[in-house]
Amino acid sequence: MTTFVHYPLLWGLLLVGVPVLIHWINMLRQKRVPWAAMEFLLASQKKHRTWIVFQQLLLLLLRMAAIAAVVLMLAQPVLQSGWGAWLGGVRTHHIVLLDDSFSMSERWDDTSAFDQAKTVTGRLVESLAREGDHTFTLQRFSQAGRPVRGTQPDFLEERVDSTFPDRLKTRLADLRPSQTAVGPLAAMEAVAHLLGQGEGERRIVYLVSDFRVRQWDDPGPLRKMLLDWTAAGVEVRLVQCVQGSRPNLAVRDLRPGPGTRAAGVPLFMEVTVENFGDTPVENVPVLIEADGQAQPALSIPRIPPRQAVKERFPVRFATAGEHRISVRLEADAVQDDNFRWAVIDVPAHVPVLLIDGDPEALDARYLSAVFAPGGPANTGISPRIETPRYLTLHPLEPFQAVYLLNVDRLDRSALAALEQYVAAGGGVGIFLGERSSSQVLNDEWHRQGQGLFPLPVEKPVDLPVDYLQRIPDLQLTDHPIFQVFAGARNSFLTSVIVRRYFSVPKDWRPGAEADVAVIARLRNGAPLVVERRFGRGRVVAFLTTAAPTWNNWARDNPSFVVAMLELQAYLTARPTAETPRLVGQPLELSLDAARYEPQVRFITPREDLSPTTVEEAEAAANGQLRATLVNTDVSGIYEARLVRNDGREEVRGFAVNVDPAEGDLRVLDYPELASRLDGVPHQFQLASRYEYAEGEQGGYNLGTALLCFVAVLLVAEQLLAYAASYHPPSWQRAEVLGGGA
Amino acid sequence: MNDSKRFLRPDVLKRIARLDLRARHVVEGFLSGRHRSPHFGQTVEFRQHRPYTPGDDLRYVDWKVWAKQDRYYVKQFEEDTNLRLTLLVDASASMRYGKGAMTKFEYAATVAVSLAYLVLRQQDAVGCLTFDEGPRKIVPQRTKRNHLDSIVQALEASDPRHKTDLTPIFRKAAEAYPRRGMVAIVSDLLVDREGFSRGLRLLRSRGHDVLVFHVLDDDELDFPFSGPTRFEGLEVPLYLKCNPRALREGYLTALQAYLEEVRRACSRQHVDYTMLRTSQSLGAALATFLNHRLATQTRS
Repeated sequence: MTTFVHYPLLWGLLLVGVPVLIHWINMLRQKRVPWAAMEFLLASQKKHRTWIVFQQLLLLLLRMAAIAAVVLMLAQPVLQSGWGAWLGGVRTHHIVLLDDSFSMSERWDDTSAFDQAKTVTGRLVESLAREGDHTFTLQRFSQAGRPVRGTQPDFLEERVDSTFPDRLKTRLADLRPSQTAVGPLAAMEAVAHLLGQGEGERRIVYLVSDFRVRQWDDPGPLRKMLLDWTAAGVEVRLVQCVQGSRPNLAVRDLRPGPGTRAAGVPLFMEVTVENFGDTPVENVPVLIEADGQAQPALSIPRIPPRQAVKERFPVRFATAGEHRISVRLEADAVQDDNFRWAVIDVPAHVPVLLIDGDPEALDARYLSAVFAPGGPANTGISPRIETPRYLTLHPLEPFQAVYLLNVDRLDRSALAALEQYVAAGGGVGIFLGERSSSQVLNDEWHRQGQGLFPLPVEKPVDLPVDYLQRIPDLQLTDHPIFQVFAGARNSFLTSVIVRRYFSVPKDWRPGAEADVAVIARLRNGAPLVVERRFGRGRVVAFLTTAAPTWNNWARDNPSFVVAMLELQAYLTARPTAETPRLVGQPLELSLDAARYEPQVRFITPREDLSPTTVEEAEAAANGQLRATLVNTDVSGIYEARLVRNDGREEVRGFAVNVDPAEGDLRVLDYPELASRLDGVPHQFQLASRYEYAEGEQGGYNLGTALLCFVAVLLVAEQLLAYAASYHPPSWQRAEVLGGGA
Repeated sequence: MNDSKRFLRPDVLKRIARLDLRARHVVEGFLSGRHRSPHFGQTVEFRQHRPYTPGDDLRYVDWKVWAKQDRYYVKQFEEDTNLRLTLLVDASASMRYGKGAMTKFEYAATVAVSLAYLVLRQQDAVGCLTFDEGPRKIVPQRTKRNHLDSIVQALEASDPRHKTDLTPIFRKAAEAYPRRGMVAIVSDLLVDREGFSRGLRLLRSRGHDVLVFHVLDDDELDFPFSGPTRFEGLEVPLYLKCNPRALREGYLTALQAYLEEVRRACSRQHVDYTMLRTSQSLGAALATFLNHRLATQTRS
């Protein structure tokens, strides 16, 4: 069977009649010449008539054949039969890697990058379907980027027949850009196994993508894989669906800010918006919803180009439990990165343990008064005053922070529990006092830097009172605890007088021990407040008392209340607890096997795209159950419906967001792309100008053979035309001109 | 020399409508370019003096005049009519062809009248016979200067028709001009070669010196046509549709064979043959005539 690449050009075969038409017109328009020497003309006619007719007929046929051959050559006939295979035609396997990351949803005019990609794919297959010996594989990036589920091509080595374009069209009509940020490497790895078996077939890989700068910043692995492919005979075609970079804003982050998180207590949320454009943007509105209720919008005054700006906004949840917050930007080139969700677990109150070494618990009472002042003021903090013995007998995990106040000694188990608590992420605040022992502090709590106490101390010393108050006793640094005091001169701070404190060895420097920082000093330069990161938690040690025994800070000084609340917020902040979940990543949930049934029902944000599934939790190594939701293809808040053993249902929310980095819409122009693919043979086309290349036809293309045939025909035509006309040699012409004189 | 030859070019002569004036231009232009030594007669009757020019026979220098005026003059004498020229001019239909400055007939007529003028200028007798399928006009031989008008009228009054065999025409000419003389045939000779050969033989047998001026158009010699063409016979009711380029080689071959046959026929009868292209200068015809005249006098 013979097919043609450009069927419409076959209409050009009508041009075969042109030589006959020209001949006919010439016969009608022939010149009339009255002629005297008819005798010689008739003699010539009589002698050469047969040969002349034969020559002219042959010439006519040659010209008609040449025109037909030119038309056929342009129409690109492809021989599909056994003869075609014998002549060198082979089956061609076309593998289309279709980028459906959400940057492909970029819109302009009335189209989008993904629409362009689908159009290119459709046109390619329509061209292939006109002749038969092709197979087709379609692999989307988003499917390749889900190794947990296994890669699932939409079409895998499907034979391209006359019905295939319709099937593909139906499939493409259902496809939408995903919300993943999967790059080309995953898709290439997914189809690599298909390219290893190319015996007797031609293989062409089409990378239909937007070619963002971000994905090609490190082209090493991509280039290596492409080099391997081309070395194995695979042809690489790059089709870019986007021209030029467009500005775009993306919500980069949404998380609760530092501060006490409790029901009825205002909570500051932090939202980060990034400007991926090359020009600054001003007055960017950020629409906020909390538990489905619209909140006052936030306006970001200015975002410089290619920078992110963090802004805070307050929310207040009256009840304890999980609360959902979302922010949204106005529409721009890409929609998916304009949304961000967060699930905040707001407790009814924040339990805080105050361990006081003094039976009178003077220090504890001062702090307790700060944390729970009573009356209408609600800090959300629930302090509990206990003796050091409590540390040995009770678990510390329920408490958001533990304060050691004027404690002289802890037994070994209490100290170990405390250190384990901090290492796991807990916060401990330490205030020294008359009961504190430098020996205990150094030998048991500090232990040459192995313990939780930040620094070695010497003994309590007095700081002479400066009645002139020329220099404030408290010299604060720009630490989060004291950041609230930064800026304007604060008369309440300057009135703080510290009379007694624990001195430190003169040769001690905070740099000598890791993760230790002095965050406040006295006016004589002695460290007063020292912080240490211990494991995942934090320890902040005040080398003076909390109660106004060694200082007057807690006595009628509002700055003490503010500082202690900031200390509490700092100690309870756990950055690692807010790990963002991204679209495409499996959602894992650990359950206490003793409390929950193993069936977990996951409800997705878009039931139309991702239906509800019930997953069976599996037993994990630590004795807990682990339920996993693999299909997290859309952003939003997922719900896990758990059933307790007592039959009650419990709902947990999980915010799944897009990778904001995908919102960087800078694209590589072809020279840059080519430089990154240095040495990789490839063809490049823009989707908007995509043309079906003749080389993609399967079978044996007769175009080249016809070109040679046309050349032979034209040469033969010229030779015959030369032979059929008369060209006297110069000497013979001179003789004729000279006559017989 | 160049200026005089300008008058011999057909494209220049075409501008002169009157045939006699045209002939005068041709002859005067031709003679002014030659050495000033016309062949005057050798009788004893003195006619005139003229200034000596190098090359003149010293026997004719008039020494008396030299003695009186210290200048060299040569004496010229009246000469008896010793030449009778008969012009046989083809006025058949085939002579109407011509794509250049002149048709073949116009060219032939110009040649004929120029020869007549030249001959009459030398006090010789000239007659003219035009013919197509038969003799059309017969002008007797005369020596008067105004006889040229009769010849011109005969040529201008010709109505071309088909021609057939030349033998009876030549026989008629021999009868019309019985005295021996010179016969100049001006024709395209598109006739039966056998009849032409017999006619020449007849004229030669009557003692005539025969000159053949074979007039052909450039197109007939070169056949430069291209593209579909319908050739319609001027003398035969035939036409031929053809691609001329395809037939050109055969045509030229047949033409060369024909010309060769004509040349051989002339050569056999000791006839001077001159081919004239209608684009060619008329000087060739006059030069041939004068050379032939000189050769005849030398022989006599």
